[in-house]
Amino acid sequence: MRSVFVRHRWEPYLWILPSILLMLIFVVFPIGIVFRLAFSNISRAGVVGDFIGLRNFQDAVSSAAFPQVMLNTLIWVVSVVGLSTLIGFICAMVLNQTFFGRKIARSIMVFPWAASLVIQASVWNYIIKMEYGNLNNILLNLGFLQDPVNWRISYQVEFIWECAIGIIVTIPFVTFTVLSGLQSIDTAYYEAATVDGAGFWNKLRHVTLPLVKPSLTVSTVLNIIYVFNSFPIIYTITKGAPANKTDTMVTYLYMLAFYDQRKGPATALSVIGFVILCIASGIYMMITMRKEDGGI
Amino acid sequence: MKRLPESRSSRMRVLILIALAILLTAAFCSLPFLQFSSQMYVKRSPNTFVGDEKYLSAREAVEAQLETFRAQGIDGVIDEQVIERVNSKNEKTSMIIFTINAANKRSGWSVMTAGLPASRWLILALALGAAAWVLTLISLPPVIGGNVRNAFGIAAFICALASFFLIPIVPLQLNLNLSRAVDLYLAGEEVRGIESLLPALDRFLFGGEAGDQLETMLSALNYSILPALILLLIPAFITICASILGCRRPLKKTLLRVALYVSVILFSLFILYPFFVMFITAFRSNAETTDMHFLHILPVNWVFSNLGDTLDRGVLRYLINSLLIAGGATGIAMLCGIPAAYAMARMDFKGRKIYLGFVIMSQMFSPVVLLVGISRLMNTLHMNDTLAGLMFINAAFNQAFAIWLLRGTFVSISSEMEQAACIDGCSVLGAMLRILLPMAAPGIVTTLIFVFINAWNEYTVSTVLISTATNRPITVGITQFSSFNMIEWQYLFAAALLATVPVVILFMLIEKHLAAGLTAGGVKG
Repeated sequence: MRSVFVRHRWEPYLWILPSILLMLIFVVFPIGIVFRLAFSNISRAGVVGDFIGLRNFQDAVSSAAFPQVMLNTLIWVVSVVGLSTLIGFICAMVLNQTFFGRKIARSIMVFPWAASLVIQASVWNYIIKMEYGNLNNILLNLGFLQDPVNWRISYQVEFIWECAIGIIVTIPFVTFTVLSGLQSIDTAYYEAATVDGAGFWNKLRHVTLPLVKPSLTVSTVLNIIYVFNSFPIIYTITKGAPANKTDTMVTYLYMLAFYDQRKGPATALSVIGFVILCIASGIYMMITMRKEDGGI
Repeated sequence: MKRLPESRSSRMRVLILIALAILLTAAFCSLPFLQFSSQMYVKRSPNTFVGDEKYLSAREAVEAQLETFRAQGIDGVIDEQVIERVNSKNEKTSMIIFTINAANKRSGWSVMTAGLPASRWLILALALGAAAWVLTLISLPPVIGGNVRNAFGIAAFICALASFFLIPIVPLQLNLNLSRAVDLYLAGEEVRGIESLLPALDRFLFGGEAGDQLETMLSALNYSILPALILLLIPAFITICASILGCRRPLKKTLLRVALYVSVILFSLFILYPFFVMFITAFRSNAETTDMHFLHILPVNWVFSNLGDTLDRGVLRYLINSLLIAGGATGIAMLCGIPAAYAMARMDFKGRKIYLGFVIMSQMFSPVVLLVGISRLMNTLHMNDTLAGLMFINAAFNQAFAIWLLRGTFVSISSEMEQAACIDGCSVLGAMLRILLPMAAPGIVTTLIFVFINAWNEYTVSTVLISTATNRPITVGITQFSSFNMIEWQYLFAAALLATVPVVILFMLIEKHLAAGLTAGGVKG
């Protein structure tokens, strides 16, 4: 069937060539550069020197901030992915009902996803300011507060805010992926379950969950990768301050590379991050490829 | 139609929920709702040093005073303030000021019996909750007929819902009673109902002991309303659930519907809140954005010229840059992506799987991790600080998604017509351009818009690659309004508004088509 479109054996390769070139130059090349730099001696001016083995990795891992940064990254990924998946799933269940105004609700749900993360982070940054932030303003106006509350009393609290904002902007992605999974479920399953006397929780456990599991898995794995890579929220709100205490790995390596001009340890961290991403995407690829085999 | 016998477990569930709600309400009401402290006693002890004889005797006297307060049922804490000075003879002296502060807490029960206007609201809220419990319990026994049961159910639901929305009014009222009314009264203004409010406050706060001293004590009052009050929303929510579960089928559905609407509206408001803030702040005057004491939720004067001003301050340039970058990136991504997706959908070739794996892998790598490499590469290619560089980077990092989504669209379209055209002598390229692409238009538009939005919102790479101010895209450009020395929130948000509105509208257009492709492809970076 497909052979109708292939007149020469080399023809398909010609079709995919532009995309391969594009990705080779702008994705694969930088990966190569990062790997080379990670194992080289780099001067502050950025001149690349000799191969120095794992010294950059030692520098990166033994720095005082590293344990805190890794812990933050873990908390960031687990809390944002976990909670946004839970809340997003509930939202998807609600949006899957037919009710008046569903289209409006769906459109509203789009907002945090469509708007740029820097802009949303800037807005939240303004909202939680103590002296004139909008949250204090509204609460003072409504009489819940007498004096403005300092919503950013310590870096731990600021980090919690950052996680909360991360959750809010991630919910729509989960909602829409799960929603697309929910909408592809045949209603016959639910009718059958109802006839069998299954209540809400039984239907959820034995019909809905198994059937949306594929889209839930894909959204979770993708989310892990995107949240791990997420940069603007933390960079806009705290810039990792004080002393890298609110940094995650990507903001930390950005600071290392472009503020401290320590490209060596920064690229070493990139490689570590790269390996973590490779594992995550390996899992993702296995899931997708399996679906590809079974499906289309 | 044969109805399944209503299971006993559903009744059990309602009972458990109501028991839980009652328990939680009782528990939260026993927690302190209000915490306040007020100066009750001051003793100045001059020429005293901490630890000397005079200090000890003064301290003893203060402690004795505290004991007498305690005997009256008012608890307090002793604060010491040491003031050190050098006198005219160049000697160091010190004075110690002892104060006893009443550190008091008032639980929900005492708020209820205080006779304040706020107590009436609290009692009303709890009474409605209790009514909901009773009505639900009455409707539970199986002997009650369907219609009667539903009538009780509706009443219970309304009571529970009203109780839920009354609870937030209580702290608001408490605050009004304690502060606004008292402040106005102390300032000499006429306040309605103050003659009944003052004795009530005296009884509530000072056990009726204050008497003539009340005004002084009120003016020194520090208080805070504690979150236990808001925790009452939890049992109220449980009561709502119980009242719904207690109903029979058709009514239960209706009530669930109502609950659904209420929660959807509340959640939508929550989602829209930052955008509301962005919108109103964009039209505020500069003074208003940074004034701590302005007490208006909406701008007093809507400064619509902020939008024009922000454009004049370079934002127009940034918007054009963003348009060029996003447009160019979309063009490149589609030019490279459509043929690739076509090959993936219609052709079979060696290494197809490997290529697919490569595509999926490449979408995993955000440019953030590779920033150092990207900036070096751009140096080598002489594309640092150019719009073209950002076009290519954005195109490359969105390529995987574009291919994936386009391939999905192409596969879903039958290849028969193209095959026929090919057999009739049309070239493969011609068949694709004339037959496939028009049919695949919706999918192509979706991909196009999505890539465009991603490139438009991209921030991290731009901050690294762009150093010339006139080359900044909007995402980088707006951050100039929040620099350390000068923050101009109104311009920041006016620019943010201009950058967000088109993107959100575009996104709404494709949201439906996108959802299906998401599980297969990539997304936001």
